[in-house]
This record gives sequence, C-alpha cells and structure tokens, in this order.
Amino acid sequence: MNSNAMRVIAGIGVIAVAIVLLIVLKDDDKSASEKVDTVATTTSSNPGGNESPSKPSIPTIVIKNGKPVGGITELTYNEGDQIRFKVDSDVSDEIHVHGYELMKDVEAGGSVSFDFPASIEGVFEAELEGRKEQILEFTVNP
Amino acid sequence: MSFVLPVAHALVARKDLPIPAWLFAWGASIVLIVSFFALSAAWRKPRFEQERWRPLGAGLSRALLSVPMQALCGVVGIFLLGFSIYAGLHGTEAPDRNFALTFIFVTAWLGLPLFSVIFGDVFRPINPWRAIGRTIGGAFSAIAGQRPAHLAYPEKLGRWPAAIGLLAVVWLEVVYGSSGGVAVGLSPDTLGLAALLYSLYTLAMMALFGVEKWCQTGEIFSVYFGMFSQLGSFGVRDGKLGRRLPLSAATHWATVPGSAAVVIASIASTSFDGAQEGAFKGGILQTFEWLVEAGLSLTTSLRVTDTIFMALCFLGVGLVYLIGVQGMSTVRGAPPLKKLRTGFAHTLIPIAFAYLVAHYFSLFVFQEQAQFTYLLSDPLGTATTDLFGTASSGVDFKLLSANAIWYVQVGALVIGHVVGLTLAHDRATAYWGDYRQAARSQYWMLAVMVAFTCFGLYLLSVANA
Repeated sequence: MNSNAMRVIAGIGVIAVAIVLLIVLKDDDKSASEKVDTVATTTSSNPGGNESPSKPSIPTIVIKNGKPVGGITELTYNEGDQIRFKVDSDVSDEIHVHGYELMKDVEAGGSVSFDFPASIEGVFEAELEGRKEQILEFTVNP
Repeated sequence: MSFVLPVAHALVARKDLPIPAWLFAWGASIVLIVSFFALSAAWRKPRFEQERWRPLGAGLSRALLSVPMQALCGVVGIFLLGFSIYAGLHGTEAPDRNFALTFIFVTAWLGLPLFSVIFGDVFRPINPWRAIGRTIGGAFSAIAGQRPAHLAYPEKLGRWPAAIGLLAVVWLEVVYGSSGGVAVGLSPDTLGLAALLYSLYTLAMMALFGVEKWCQTGEIFSVYFGMFSQLGSFGVRDGKLGRRLPLSAATHWATVPGSAAVVIASIASTSFDGAQEGAFKGGILQTFEWLVEAGLSLTTSLRVTDTIFMALCFLGVGLVYLIGVQGMSTVRGAPPLKKLRTGFAHTLIPIAFAYLVAHYFSLFVFQEQAQFTYLLSDPLGTATTDLFGTASSGVDFKLLSANAIWYVQVGALVIGHVVGLTLAHDRATAYWGDYRQAARSQYWMLAVMVAFTCFGLYLLSVANA
C-alpha cells in the first residue's frame, strides 16, 4: 500500500514535470519560430523595400579563387517562399543546387541568378560542382 | 582564423530539418510517462525467455531451405558483391551516380536491419562470403575426402571482432569518407577496394576458424544483421522454418562475449553520425581548429577529430550502460556483475534499431528511389547505358513532408524505448525471484533507457542546426 502510494506520488510528479517541460519548451518554440520568421524576412526578402522592385536586395554569394567569400552562406525560407540568390564568381564552374537539382553554368568573372519556389522541405546545399566547393546552405521550413 | 567544416555525406542531397521544440517536449514527456507506467503496471513472471517455437508448414520450409534455393541465394549474393566491387572500381567517381555506394551503405547497410526484423535473418542465405566459404569447404571435402580442419576460435574474443568491425564500417563511411577536405564523401573506388580487402580478410578468417563460426562471431554483417533478426518472429531451427514469440530470441542473443559491445557500437556510431552536424558541431570545430593550428593538414585534422568524437560516443554509450548495470548489482539478490553485463545487453537492440530508423529513415526512402531507377539502369554512372529506361529519373524529395519524417523519427524512438523497457523488465523478473527487488533493479535500466531515448530526441532536435 505504502509503496503504491509512493508510486502514485512519483507518477504525479513525473507528469507534472512533463507538463511544465511541455509548457516551457512550447513557449521557447514560439519565440524560436518568430526568430526564424525574422531571419527569413531579413534574408529572403528585401527589408523595408518590399514595395519597390527597383531596389531588390537579393543575397549575393561572391566566389574568389574558387571559394565563397565569408564562408558558406546560410539562408532560411518557409515552404512556398521564392528562393532568390545570385552568384558572382571569378572562376568558371557549374553551380549545382542539390535536392532541387538545378544546374547553371557560370563564366569566370560572370554572375548567375537563381529564382525558384521553395517547394521541398529540408536542408539543402549548393556547390561549385567542378570544385566540389559548398557555397550555400539553405533551409526550407514547412 | 575561422574554418569552414567540410563535412558532408556523399549521398545526401537533402538533410532533415531538426525536430521542433514542441515535438521534442511531447516525445520526452511521453517517454517519461510511459516509463512510469512500466514501473508500476508490469508483469511479475518472465514472458519472453521462452520462445514458444512453432514450425511453419513443412512444404514451405523444405522449399525455402532446399539446396538449390540456398545455391541460388548464394549466387545472387556473390553477384551483388562482385558487381558492387566492379562498379566501385570501374564506375564513375561521382558517389551519388555510382551503384556501389548506395547499394552498400543504404540498400544493404540500412535496408537489411529492417528486413531482418520483419522476415528473420535474411542475410544468412545471401551472405556472399558464407556462400563462397561453404563452396570452397565443400570442394575441399570432396577432393580430400575429409572435412577441412580449423583452429579453435578463442571464445573469449566472442563478438568483439564484429563490434570493432562495425565501428570500422561506419568510420569508413562517415569519418574517412566525409573528411576529404572537400564535400565529396567516400569515393566509389575506395569503397570497391575496401570491399575487396574485407572479402579477402573474411575468407581467410573463415578458412582459419570455419565458415559458420566466423559468421556467428567475427563477420561484421552477419553479426550485425543477425542481431536485428532476433527481434522478429521468424527464424530457422533444426533446419526448419518457424515462428516464435517476437523479441524472445533476443533474450538468448547476448550470451556470446562481446555482444554488448556490438549493440553499443551500433548506438554509438549512429549517434556520432547524427551529432556531427548538430550536437557535436561546436566541439568538432574546436578540436579541428586546435589540430590545424598544431600543424596537421586539414584532412588529417578532420579525420582525427571525427575519430576522437566517434570513440567518445562509443565510450559514452558504453559508460551509461555500465553505470546502469553497476546500479542494478547493488539491488539485493542481484546476480554477479558479469552476468548482469551480458544479461541486459539485448535490451539495447530495440534502441539501436530505433536510432537507425530515426536517423536514416528519410535517407533510405529517398535514396532507394535512386537505387531502383537510375542506379539500376546506369549502375556505373557512365550516362551512356540505360538498361531499364529509368536512367534519367530523379529522386522525388516531396514524397515525405518534414512533418511525416518528424513523426516517424519520434515514433521510432518512443517505440524503441518501450520495447527496450519491456525486455529489461522481463529479464529482471527472470534474474530476481522477488518481484519487488526486480522492480527496484529496473529504476537503473529505466534511467539508462530514458538517457538514450532523450539523447536520441535531443540529437534530432539539433540535427543540421
């Protein structure tokens, strides 16, 4: 009897901890997703200039000596967003967007733009195919 | 100076999103609640120690286990191994376009654990090395008029060679392969060479210790897939197919020394793969930078770093298990520590399987599309062959939504947790005559299981973040 009572108390304790955990983490999630949203708006669209198509701020990846300047660019989108980025390269190569299987050639000193809908959820990368050099990692949240 | 970690899988075009915090919380809460009920509302007599074996129809048994069928399976296995080696050595260097990588590391390495759980030990009949070994052994007997003599296998060694081999296989894929300094992953010709060397090593060991003996103890794939087949209900006994109570075979699996190391190696290697781009990313980067600054090359630094972290995973998982065992030994009426150590190893097999599902489910679903379309039609990746007209097909990454993947991942971990607890409780009731002491001993295993499951959930929640 005594040990049964102990168990019930322990059980209630566990459930209480679980509920608290749930509430705490649920709140975290909300603020986290808000953060993600802000990130998405700052990186994937043009902050403050949405209405004026004359001043598009498309993320640009600059390739110097076959390597991305400032490391691998990270972009975050939600499903259904339009993914836009530009690559300025000083080497000629093929740019391969994995998962979406998009390939575009870029000339040395040239630039190439990508513009496609975020239709597949997950984490993807783009690389200079010939050099096997990753230049971009982008996340598509559901 | 800042470094960019060149970590990438050869085959992974799409990585999973981390599970959201609310799902992590739900998963962890369910685990805790389920664990509590497992403690209070459990049975008092062991239920899984007896297999309750029932043979299947004699005709089916005879057909599936007949000599021509065995020969056919062996030939298929040898062909697939030989072809993988050939494709690796002579096919394209692009890992994702070469049959060998996907076939060995996805179709076989990830598919066979699943099929073994469902259908029993399916690898045994198609094991190419066993087929070759038996053929050579049979030929020797026919010519020499006597059975080949073997050395006595050192029983103390048990399954340790398989445990170390298991780590080596995963090391080859995720440490050696991913550390090229560029994001290419393991090159197909390295894999072809490795498969060739492993074949020579395996055949030599079979010649030394006997085919069946080596398959039970040292042959990595036999031991690894065989371990998962213990969870399911189909098996072969005395040359007959039969059904048994699910999970019951697992209760006898760990009696061979080193078995605990095999299942710990499995959990550890999956953990490492799941953690290297998430939970361990910071630590790996830090260590990597130290080694680079100490003067090692980028590739060497990354390989050494990853090797260290993989070894730490093995030690960490092993330590958690040993602490649980040590704790149980303090409960009155406990059997000797050594018996406890082997006696509860099998309770981790469901956890190991759950880890596999959680970390590789999406990769398996996506990469099998490649396996059965362009990798079948154009296995060497030459872009000039199209055997079945599917060479230009692609992988449909929309097949699974992020939500579907998350639910499978969390579901697998929770179910693995419940099954692990079931086996542990059952074993405790067999070891402790007194039910109360048995239940008390299970606080320890419960802690071990909660640790593994929550760690698994945590890895998912920070994966690729």
